[in-house]
Amino acid sequence: MNTREAIHTFVEKTDGWVAAQLEACTRCGICAEACPFYQATGKPEFAPVWKVELLRRTYQQKFTLAGRLRTGLGLQRKVEDEDLVEWSKIVYEACTVCNRCAMACPMGIQLGPLLDEVRAGLAAAGVVPEDIMVAVRKQINQGSPLGVTDQVFEERLEWVADEWDVSIPIDKEGAETLVVFSSIEIMKFPQSIADIVRILDAAGENWTLSRKGREGINWGIYEGNAEHTKLFVKRVLDAAEELGVRRIMITECGNAYDALRWTAPNLVRVPAGLEITHIVGMLGEYVRSGRIKLKAGAADGDGVITFHDACKIQRRGGLIEEPRQILNVIAPNSFREMSPNKEAAICCGGGGGVAAIKTADPYRYAVFGLKLAQIRAAQADTVVMACANCRLQFLDGLAHFNSNVKVRSLSEMVVGALG
Amino acid sequence: MDWNSFLRFVRGPLFEVSLLVFVAGLAYRLLRVVTLGWARNRAPAAGSRVVGVGRSYAKGVIAWPFIPWVKDTFRGNAVTYLAGGLFHLGLFVVILLGTAHMLAWKSLLGFGWPTLSPSIVDFLAAGAIVAMIALLINRFSHPVVRKLTGPAELLNWLVVFLAMVTGYMMTHHLFFRYEVLFGLHMVAVDVLLIWIPFSAIPHFVFYFFSRTIHGVEHGRRAVTP
Amino acid sequence: MREETIYEHLQREGVSRREFIKYCGMVAGAMGLWATPVLSESARLFGNPDLIGEVIRALETKPRLPIIWLEFQDCAGCTEALTRSQSPTFVDLVLNKISIDYHETLFAAAGFQAEEARQRAMQAYAGRYVLVVEGSIPTGARGVYCTVGGRSAVNILKEAAAGATAIIATGNCAAFGGIPKAKPDPTEAKGVWEIVTDKPVVNIPGCPAIPEVTAGTIARFLVFGTLPELDDLNRPKTFYGTTIHDQCLRRHFYDAGKFAGTFDDEGARNGWCLYKLGCKGPTTYNACPAIKWDGGLSFPIQSGHPCLGCSQPDFWDGGGFYQAQSVPLDRPTLEAVGIAAGVGALVGAGVAVANRSQKKRANEPEAETTGRD
Repeated sequence: MNTREAIHTFVEKTDGWVAAQLEACTRCGICAEACPFYQATGKPEFAPVWKVELLRRTYQQKFTLAGRLRTGLGLQRKVEDEDLVEWSKIVYEACTVCNRCAMACPMGIQLGPLLDEVRAGLAAAGVVPEDIMVAVRKQINQGSPLGVTDQVFEERLEWVADEWDVSIPIDKEGAETLVVFSSIEIMKFPQSIADIVRILDAAGENWTLSRKGREGINWGIYEGNAEHTKLFVKRVLDAAEELGVRRIMITECGNAYDALRWTAPNLVRVPAGLEITHIVGMLGEYVRSGRIKLKAGAADGDGVITFHDACKIQRRGGLIEEPRQILNVIAPNSFREMSPNKEAAICCGGGGGVAAIKTADPYRYAVFGLKLAQIRAAQADTVVMACANCRLQFLDGLAHFNSNVKVRSLSEMVVGALG
Repeated sequence: MDWNSFLRFVRGPLFEVSLLVFVAGLAYRLLRVVTLGWARNRAPAAGSRVVGVGRSYAKGVIAWPFIPWVKDTFRGNAVTYLAGGLFHLGLFVVILLGTAHMLAWKSLLGFGWPTLSPSIVDFLAAGAIVAMIALLINRFSHPVVRKLTGPAELLNWLVVFLAMVTGYMMTHHLFFRYEVLFGLHMVAVDVLLIWIPFSAIPHFVFYFFSRTIHGVEHGRRAVTP
Repeated sequence: MREETIYEHLQREGVSRREFIKYCGMVAGAMGLWATPVLSESARLFGNPDLIGEVIRALETKPRLPIIWLEFQDCAGCTEALTRSQSPTFVDLVLNKISIDYHETLFAAAGFQAEEARQRAMQAYAGRYVLVVEGSIPTGARGVYCTVGGRSAVNILKEAAAGATAIIATGNCAAFGGIPKAKPDPTEAKGVWEIVTDKPVVNIPGCPAIPEVTAGTIARFLVFGTLPELDDLNRPKTFYGTTIHDQCLRRHFYDAGKFAGTFDDEGARNGWCLYKLGCKGPTTYNACPAIKWDGGLSFPIQSGHPCLGCSQPDFWDGGGFYQAQSVPLDRPTLEAVGIAAGVGALVGAGVAVANRSQKKRANEPEAETTGRD
């Protein structure tokens, strides 16, 4: 553990954007109530303001005259090894970076991005949960945290194409759109691949996959390591540039959209004119423009359907109305909203790398308990979502709580209503 | 020193010095942050950042805390919301819409404005004082806020509270002679002015940074803040 | 030879017994009932059921009170106020009938003859006369700014104070320095009690002092032979125990927040509170609303003018007569504010630049690791 590196990283990351928000915090504690991890467990150390305390303390001790004086006189403790260990636990195990805290803060402080800076420091010090590092190393060496190597990629897709009778081009020249799946879909939800392929073909999209740019997920983001984040986005962006596509379409993954749409442009040079899109956004466009037609009421008659807003696709991605537009057409009599929802939706608890950490399971299930309460309040029989990682968490969580609620992906619903 | 000389001093030279320290201190705090600079966000915006900022301020000023997504955060923070809101309301009404204070502003700015009747101002002043006491108790009883409370937070509370309570005593001529109360209020205000730049109280300045950033970030992602 | 008592003197002047009792009533009234008395004083006065009787006995048995009246750096306004009082009034009674006074301004004699009269009186009544002082005492340039007969006011005062049994400073100038002391105070004007420090000095401030208050204090000393209860500015609590604000006829307008904004607006014409026009009533202690001026005719606020605070020290430097009390007395100029902001900004930017270089150093590779993990 290299605590000095953590402090250095905090210092390096603290620019005016960070400092202004650290200065704006009035220590009111309201953010805690918005955090599903605090709501579900009642642990005060899970309060978002406490999670970013290391960043604030470093700022105070290194950037302010009073802080420097007091630390110099020995009146304040510097950040030490025990602190990194303690914070590593709360920052990686009890936070999915869903950013709900930012919505509740009276000052509007972006606690999620600030927490990313804390992870950066911890990553620099080498204090990241081993479960996350396992996934990171796999992605570095094998190209995917779930072991989707070149070979596995080809074999898997061949099987999907065969099983669902679809055609899946890889590295097709002249394609306009590079579709980037996540290894969760490839390994866990292969039907989703077929569903999405069908939709793209129905919409007449000129698309391809890429061997090099096969993985949308970015474990560098979960780790908090800029170098790894860069490495992983570059694989996709380089592939896009080599293929000469006009756009990248991320499929049902929130983390991948976060990485490529919002993070990548600030880390590397994104090829000029390259558009980064998400399947949810594209679905909305296809429906609006009439490129695909949906049969009205196609999903009615199978109980109440509700929609789970994925943090990185809805609150952090802005693709909020498209799922409603679609569900209101295909299930007008069955669709019911949960509360809270849309940009205020409660996180499923599985994002941010939390699902990979075994010791975080109690917290993860506790948070899912909140989700389950929401589903029950809406009296829903089916929950639809557009994020594969949420799907994993839902399936695991529903089993954990012995629930019969069904889980569907948005693409699955669309395919079922293609007219 | 008798109370009349004390009053002259705290209304006179000490006030002048306090105000200058206040101005210099705030400028210092502001430039210390702004000069750090920051990089432009190169991700293309999906929505209007300006609209995002507008909504962010509307949420912060007009609709807070009556908007739906705040409801569940109200549950565990009733005291913070209610007492915090009452405190701020009382504070602004008293220092901006109280006649005595408006005249002080007028002497500094060169222009005045209409004020509210003393009974309303007085009622809100009392409300603000009660709210501050509730907030102090909350600092020790709320599990999250307790973790965030240290000597700095308590000192902030004390300095603000003394200014408010001496002002109230002065208005109501409580316990001491008027010139004594006036002197105590002015010295409390002078101390407050000097302390503000070295505390977390400049959140009233940085509020505009965080609220704008909030609006920009949400506008960029086409999300209602 | 026994000195003639006051009663005997009055008899000689042709005052009947009935008139004499009436005069005693006036004196008794003046001592307690004209102002809102401080509780301790009134307890002593009112607790005494035979107050008038005490007054009668005093005037029947005591000789007339010798008063030496000195005037220094002043406008003579306090004397003017006294002499303008109509007779027969209490003031007239006190100063003309029951005391003998040596008043420089009022003396028919002038020059060295007046000086000699005063010296003789001081010798004849040494240890028994009441010294009343009007006007401030300039101490700058060794006291040269006010001299009488070649002697400085400081020295005259000290000499007169030495033989006085009681010293009364009437008017704001004698009490606290008054107008001459206003900034920049070129003569270094001082009140009596700053010069005479070995004896108690009773301050009757006001600009001018209310005549009945000066006379009432003298009468009280005559009857009881002791000084009244004084506040921490040595003012008799009987008359200076409460603020103008607490006795003001416009107080209910203050409480209701109804203020006159200008001198002839609707509020002013309706008699609303004058706080915004600079009234210093809340911090001014005097008996104006109760005793008033010109024989109880009116006082500034009643006539529509804000109280100047003329019975308080340094009222001329109190921020201006038309500046409201809530306004700070010293305000930084725009230039000073600009400089303060500039200095703060510079230091803040400097610290930020130092912080930024800290960040650069943070980016450089570590020379050595901690050796762990």
